[in-house]
Amino acid sequence: MLTGAQLMCRILLEEGVDVLFGYPGGAIMPFYHALPEYPGLRHILVRHEQAAAHAADGYARASGRAGVCVATSGPGATNLVTGLATAYMDNSPVVAITGQVSRPMMGRDAFQETDIVGVTLPITKWSVLVEDITTLADTMRRAFAVARGGRPGPVLVDVPKDVQNQRIEYTPRAAAPARRAAPVVDAGALADAARLIGGAERPLILAGHGIILGNASEDLRIFAEHTGIPVITTLLGISAFPEDHPLHLGMPGMHGEVHVNRAIQRADLLIAVGMRFDDRVTGNTAGFARHAKIVHIELDPTEIGKNVPVEVPLVGDAGPILSALTRALAPRSCTAWWEEIDNSRRPPHEHFRGDIAPDTILRAIHQASGGKCSIVSDVGQHQMWVAKFFPYRRLNTHFSSGGLGAMGFAVPAAIGVHLARPDEPVWAISGDGGFQMNMQEMATMVQEGLPIKLAIFNNGYLGMVRQWQQFFHGRRYSATPIWSPDYVKLAEAYGIAGYRVEQGSQIAGAVAAALRDPGPALIEFVIEQEANVYPMIPPGASLSEVIETAPAPEPASA
Amino acid sequence: MSELHCITVVMDDKLVTLNAAVGLLRRRNLPVRSVTFGPHVTEGRSRLFAMIEADEGAAQRVALLFEKLIGVDEARAVPAADTVVRELALIRVRAPAEAYGELLDVLGLYHANVIEEGPDGLVVELTGPDTFVLSCLRAVERFGIVDVARSGAVAVERPAENPRAPTSTEASVS
Repeated sequence: MLTGAQLMCRILLEEGVDVLFGYPGGAIMPFYHALPEYPGLRHILVRHEQAAAHAADGYARASGRAGVCVATSGPGATNLVTGLATAYMDNSPVVAITGQVSRPMMGRDAFQETDIVGVTLPITKWSVLVEDITTLADTMRRAFAVARGGRPGPVLVDVPKDVQNQRIEYTPRAAAPARRAAPVVDAGALADAARLIGGAERPLILAGHGIILGNASEDLRIFAEHTGIPVITTLLGISAFPEDHPLHLGMPGMHGEVHVNRAIQRADLLIAVGMRFDDRVTGNTAGFARHAKIVHIELDPTEIGKNVPVEVPLVGDAGPILSALTRALAPRSCTAWWEEIDNSRRPPHEHFRGDIAPDTILRAIHQASGGKCSIVSDVGQHQMWVAKFFPYRRLNTHFSSGGLGAMGFAVPAAIGVHLARPDEPVWAISGDGGFQMNMQEMATMVQEGLPIKLAIFNNGYLGMVRQWQQFFHGRRYSATPIWSPDYVKLAEAYGIAGYRVEQGSQIAGAVAAALRDPGPALIEFVIEQEANVYPMIPPGASLSEVIETAPAPEPASA
Repeated sequence: MSELHCITVVMDDKLVTLNAAVGLLRRRNLPVRSVTFGPHVTEGRSRLFAMIEADEGAAQRVALLFEKLIGVDEARAVPAADTVVRELALIRVRAPAEAYGELLDVLGLYHANVIEEGPDGLVVELTGPDTFVLSCLRAVERFGIVDVARSGAVAVERPAENPRAPTSTEASVS
């Protein structure tokens, strides 16, 4: 006989879980009581449950396996919410286990009682309350199957304390659940797509996160090389296709390079794979790729036609569809189209003043690691610089909160990425705003011995909001100047190495020293205060309306 | 082109599934005209009807979104014109002695059944499309309506050989 809590541990092992991110509390105590009996489950004690969810998300993204976070009822559970919403938007298989007050107390506003199932319904693939010990094992197993299956996403399992204490016989899982067969791709649609691709003069591939989630990067490379079609990678598609490949074009959308967006606007065919036409990609959809027909390769049929009209939907797994298209098409090239795109390229405009420019920092990090590192970015200006200036050549090495845009993501998510990839450096790159949202997790790194490298791009502002204020709100910097502590002293207080870089000449040395340090290390890069991300498509505008320099300040009387 | 669609969702009978389903309707920001919920013929299953204003693509996407919910077996989106829609109304109406006969005549026009009689009035059962129900309510208003309980719309698809016949909504009351 096992307790419910022991059973939960057994199922976690059954599902291949080796690490959990969590925080104990009253309603989850039986689980934590059982945990030491299962040494195969390593528990990482975070300093805030939000970090547990982000870390589980980071672990899932880097490992391709489900990430698990654990919290108690009430505030523990509600603190998971931002992390679960992030995982939901970015399709990360996260299983959250929460304690709940005992069943006789439920519905009576008991101490630390929150309807976390109700709270998380819109931000999970499944939220479920375990109502009885007899359903616990199957609910847990199903939670993993749902999180990983189809288009992945988070699941929350809420387990009342008395269920954790009930006893039951453990029955091993009967058989591995059959993998859900991928939807059969419509042969007619495949033929239509092949015809469109074969006949297109200015085709483009828009590759998204689905390439990474669906292990389709090799199929994508073969398809692209077979057809010569330029490959654009969305923010979450970055590192799905090597950036040093001659067919790689760049990132589209709000902060995409001008020649990339111009190519989209000139294209006669977009082959969108595992991406969902987010508004940060399309700008105003009325003016998006007006000359292009769209072939949309996507696992989730609810994405077809959601934001833009699609000529040929191909619903299914990206890899097999791409290889079927490769087989269906004669080899071709896009020489004239490439010439047109290359002619519209301009030398990168040097916007940065001073010598601690974001691009210099990111190239230094790349060089120091020989490119062998994982990069986790936070949200804001630095996120765009990290997306644009780090040369991603290895598969799935860029991690960011894309859909939700959750500041505070990088530091805890890097914990998860490190645990999935303990053998290579992991950099958490944040702004001074996002870093301060979850900097408490330095303590987790120290306690658990996680040698994560923390880079802070400190410009003294909530930079992206400040940039919008500068461009669109008459330079009224309302609530965007942000004070920071002395990060070097802060690092010292946590017992880790800390470096402040105030001159370009210090960059390489600090990066090398941080990498040499066997433990966590922090570098504060004091960058230009009012550096901007260029180019920029104003919110709500079409991809053709690009801002490449700061607008002139309005007269003082305005 | 936007038109009224009937979304039929067969799901388990757990309140949390209903909660998730209604949440989905709400957050997808579509004009929802009505929602009703009741038992399905299969034991342990429920059936949700939602009438939404949407173009064909959006209506089909809503059905697919429902099918992604754990606990939902099946969802279909059908143009309202291809369905037969009815609702039930229970009406408590005063029946003053001097107008009793007149009231029964009016109710007869609407094929409404008197299911309870009391000293101060009647309980009447009425079935029809919403326009029909509203028409009846207007007609009996002058007798004094005490209370009305409307079930909301339920619908089934028309038989295949009879697509797009004039809907009852369009049929005249008389």
